[in-house]
Amino acid sequence: MATAPTPIVVDRPDQDESVLPDTPWIVLVWNDPINLMSYVTFVFQKLFGYSLEKATELMLDVHQKGRAVVSNGTREKAELDVFRLHEHGLWATMQRDGS
Amino acid sequence: MARKPKPPVERTKSGFRLNLQIEERDLVLRLMGELRALLLGPNEDDRLRRLFPTAYHQPGDQAMDDEYQRLMREDLVASRLTGLNLVDECLSETSGDSAPLSEAQLLAFVQALNGLRLVLGTMLDVGEDDDLQDIGDDHPMAGEHHLYGFLSWLLDWCIRALQS
Repeated sequence: MATAPTPIVVDRPDQDESVLPDTPWIVLVWNDPINLMSYVTFVFQKLFGYSLEKATELMLDVHQKGRAVVSNGTREKAELDVFRLHEHGLWATMQRDGS
Repeated sequence: MARKPKPPVERTKSGFRLNLQIEERDLVLRLMGELRALLLGPNEDDRLRRLFPTAYHQPGDQAMDDEYQRLMREDLVASRLTGLNLVDECLSETSGDSAPLSEAQLLAFVQALNGLRLVLGTMLDVGEDDDLQDIGDDHPMAGEHHLYGFLSWLLDWCIRALQS
């Protein structure tokens, strides 16, 4: 039977998320009363290449649950996705994953 | 038997045909001119609120949002103006049997229509459960509500054409 390794104590370096370029971010789209459901679905397909089924599922999440995560990645990627969604008039925000 | 009316936008072999009445086309062009003027006006105009949403909404991320607004707002305005100019060019030439729109032109039209709806919807304070059917002709903003309904109808047909 293998024995468990003896635990060792290590010092974790202080982590500042703002200087970790690869800290994952998520992009959220929020429900709003103006954008058409068909339009939101279309934008998800166009910007992210989602299938009609996937885009419709996300749109319904936005509509029924108030928001949906539509993409994720580095801060730079998330910011670009938010910009593209804003170009198309959707209410999109970004935040660190898990925050 | 009555003939089925043509949809306002339809995909053809050579692109997308707009079947708008001249009055409808002129109305859309005039509204787009008004949107252009708004975009070139003061930043703090509340009617533009939905065109420039917050990007970083978490507490503590205000500085990043300030930076985003400072760097991206100009690009968002430029992007919308470029689209409006493209629509202006192709709609001004469009009448009757003129050349159909390319997909890029229809996409610019779609974004411009949606921009108009966002501004008009903000002005009308449109809510989730609002129903245009409830707006009578005696409503003080009846005309604007009908306009909003027209833009919604046209945008939905554009999406159908793009997805067909």
